[in-house]
Amino acid sequence: MPADARRGQIIEIRTLVQHPMESGFRLNNVGKEIPRHIVEAFSCSYNGREIFRARLHPAVSTNPFFTFYAIADRSGDFVFTWSDDQGGVATVTQALTVFE
Amino acid sequence: MKNHNFQPARRDFLVKGAAVSGALVLGIDCQGVARAAAPDGVPEVTHWVVIRPDDIVEIRIARSELGQGSFTGLAQLVAEELECDWSKVRPEYADVNEHVKRGRIFGSMSTGGSRGIRDSQEYLRKAGASAREMLVAAAAKQWDVPAAECKAEKSIITHPSGKSTSYGKVAAAASRLEVPKEPKLKDPKDWKLIGTSPPRFDIADKTTGKQIYAADVRLPGLVHASIVQCPVFGGKLKSYDDAAVKDKRGIKAVVAGDDWVAVVADNWWRANQALKSVTVEWDVGENGDVSSDSIMRFLRTGLDAKDVPVARKDGDAEAALAGAAKVIEAEYHAPYLNHATMETQSATAVVGDDRVEVWVGTQNGEASIASASEAAGIPLENVIVHKTHAGGGFGRRGVHQEYVKQAIWIAQKMPGTPVRLQWSREEDMKQGRYRPVALVKLRAGLDEAGNWKAWHVRQADQSIFNSVRPADIKNGVDPVNVRCFQDNPYAVANFTDEYAMRNPHVPPGFWRAVAHTHNPFFRECFIDEIVQATSKDPVAFRRPLLQGKKDLGVMEAVVKAAAWDKPAAKGIHRGIAVVDSYGSFTAAVVEIAVTGGTVVEVKRVVVALDSGYVVHPDAVVAQIQSGVIWGLSSAMTEEITIKDGRVEQGNFSDYPVLHLAQTPKIEWVLVPTGGFWGGVGEPPIGAVIPALGNAIFAATGKRLRSLPFRNHGFSYKA
Amino acid sequence: MLARFQWIPVFDRKCEKGDASRRRAMLGFAAGATLLVLRPGLVLADELEDALKDAFGMREIRRGRVKLEMPRIAENGNVVPVTISVESPMTPDDHVRGIHLFAQKNRVPRVFDVELGPWNGKAVVSSRVRVAMSQQIVAVAAMADGSLWSGAADVEVVTSDCGL
Repeated sequence: MPADARRGQIIEIRTLVQHPMESGFRLNNVGKEIPRHIVEAFSCSYNGREIFRARLHPAVSTNPFFTFYAIADRSGDFVFTWSDDQGGVATVTQALTVFE
Repeated sequence: MKNHNFQPARRDFLVKGAAVSGALVLGIDCQGVARAAAPDGVPEVTHWVVIRPDDIVEIRIARSELGQGSFTGLAQLVAEELECDWSKVRPEYADVNEHVKRGRIFGSMSTGGSRGIRDSQEYLRKAGASAREMLVAAAAKQWDVPAAECKAEKSIITHPSGKSTSYGKVAAAASRLEVPKEPKLKDPKDWKLIGTSPPRFDIADKTTGKQIYAADVRLPGLVHASIVQCPVFGGKLKSYDDAAVKDKRGIKAVVAGDDWVAVVADNWWRANQALKSVTVEWDVGENGDVSSDSIMRFLRTGLDAKDVPVARKDGDAEAALAGAAKVIEAEYHAPYLNHATMETQSATAVVGDDRVEVWVGTQNGEASIASASEAAGIPLENVIVHKTHAGGGFGRRGVHQEYVKQAIWIAQKMPGTPVRLQWSREEDMKQGRYRPVALVKLRAGLDEAGNWKAWHVRQADQSIFNSVRPADIKNGVDPVNVRCFQDNPYAVANFTDEYAMRNPHVPPGFWRAVAHTHNPFFRECFIDEIVQATSKDPVAFRRPLLQGKKDLGVMEAVVKAAAWDKPAAKGIHRGIAVVDSYGSFTAAVVEIAVTGGTVVEVKRVVVALDSGYVVHPDAVVAQIQSGVIWGLSSAMTEEITIKDGRVEQGNFSDYPVLHLAQTPKIEWVLVPTGGFWGGVGEPPIGAVIPALGNAIFAATGKRLRSLPFRNHGFSYKA
Repeated sequence: MLARFQWIPVFDRKCEKGDASRRRAMLGFAAGATLLVLRPGLVLADELEDALKDAFGMREIRRGRVKLEMPRIAENGNVVPVTISVESPMTPDDHVRGIHLFAQKNRVPRVFDVELGPWNGKAVVSSRVRVAMSQQIVAVAAMADGSLWSGAADVEVVTSDCGL
């Protein structure tokens, strides 16, 4: 996402998190299913308000990637949070400066 | 432009913005159907058939010519119904880029599984019939007569009133008509072209050296690349030092990726020599200790495992074995094998701003365009793939397109410059996609009278599907690997086939006939062990077990053709095997003479084949001949061994294949029984290896249970 | 930007199975409407029917307004780019509330579900997904007024046609 934007401008946000997204369907080298381990939820909040939420299933590729859009409103933080099915959580904050 | 015998000097590639071969003029006709024209503007009658004013008939071919004759056979299927003048037929590869833009209009482009003819035959015959109906309708309209009164033959349309015209004259008008959805097809008994052997379109140029393969492509400004990938599969590139070569004469660049290093130069020899002087450090990963022995131990855990997926269970084999009067037990093994195609893996690529052009001898044009698109990060619509006839495919050039991607990654470093990547023979031998290792334990239970009542098979082998199409593995059973056992034709009341997947780190691939290269050897030689313990008559033993099966028909045919019922000539020993695969049924008799107890001379091989129908008999015979050679070669001398996690072999010096002088007399009997369409590319191979193994037993009393036979001290007469 | 996973024993935020029913309640339920075919002449496969029924009950799913862009051919289907664009002014009264992606032949047909609002400005989402074999992919957009719209794309996966 950009570091700054004009108020009212629609900005593009591209997100990527490192995660194996083990579907639970892959077989190991002796033909047994490798247990599922995936990111299940991803959300983005802007100045404290949730503006994007995704529920992920096993078909999302390794290192989940999402691009979405948001209207630049006031300067503030974008907080991105991913959580997986084993209690793992990852979070990143990115600031946006909004000018008139 | 002839894609299959590409003349690069006259072309200009798309990067410079010039017109692209295969670029279409897409017009929308009155039904809203996008009709295209060939590059020079001649309209299509249908997307399969273009007829020029001079009556040249261009038939589009979606699959690939690998030397198996598909370029000709597929054209015959169309031409039979089209009723055109065969002497005017010119097959052309359907343009892959156009195919994508038109919504995959040419259907599957995959050339594998012996499916080219049998999967295409219905829609290609319909394509020919539709085009013929449209041409006739156009003439009838012009003459204002009913189409049903007109006759079409050899590109001439006639009407009883004396009117006559040629396809070339009405093609333009025909192209504007609606395509019939369900044209009437001929009864096979009325075929005039299918079932004959017109001269093939590929042979002359291949014989005279005129044939252009992907490796022969020459373009203005072309540079050449040679590559080395991490010799231990799964390892990565750690570092490399090109100081010794980068300023040398003719060296253009040294390029590296995750697990490879390539040198680009003004000629290939220089590039390859320089590559050898680049110091490369690999991070070999966790498989640096793997050897053929450790792999064998790993497979063996599959034989010993308690709970293993069951591919088939009839009756109760365990109980029947426990109560059997006699139990025969044996373990069989087969090694990794390389495709060793004559043309090593190669591709030429040029990358532009937002476009990519690739030349490759691929078995699947769609695989190439998808791989190129993904490697370049450029949409499919902007990728042009030129298919060249492959210098041997055998399954190496279908799903595996890594050489296409590598050519593009290298070409991306020098946009606008075409890069010809060719793997060295050593690289080709060490970076194959190998026929997987397999170990099997077989047990048979016989009753007092010697009848075969129980059969237990425990397979431990490497799954190709697991790395290529895992979604098709159900309940841990690889559906391809269990073929020959799970679908065996023998009527044995109690039968269990268990499958233990064991995947070493060596990358597997589809080697011509896939599981029907080793499983038939395991099965038909094991059956011979049962035969030798009972009646000693392999044909009489099989007869009651194959009742009602087409396998019986080919067995009887080969028995007759090889005069099996008569004693063999002095010094000649024989073996027989019966194997069905890829929709067809085969049986083979191998006759050998053995000197010194170990030197084998294969005198004659007789193969019977029932493929349902035969399109081009000569091509089918060629497939039988090449199938016999393929089988005899791997049976005796071929083996890929692993040491320190890497392939030991590097060239034909340590991966010997059959020599011309060792090729036996090959006889065949085609017994197409009709009513089904079976493949011919792979089926002839299945019965050859076990028939040879059984012949060696007949000659020496030695039962060879693993391949290649040279590991048991045998060799072919030089 | 790239985030690394940090391992914490307790969830900060857990996705409950109730999400689906919550969504249904939010969007309203129209009894008696039947699922329409998404394309003329192309009936939905059972797996897709079941997955859509599970997600949307018997509500009508109309065809249109949703553009689903995916490559027509994928090499092995492991990483297939997808962009879903929905025509919508994205105003408080007229916007896309959610986009749901389904894969006809994947073992789990649901791919991802996304919630949006007028604050997004554009109803466009891109991702990278797994396509297990050649099949139809369907995107359903749920609008603020409760209507459902859809778009579909066919993806051919080369490795699932390797000719055997």
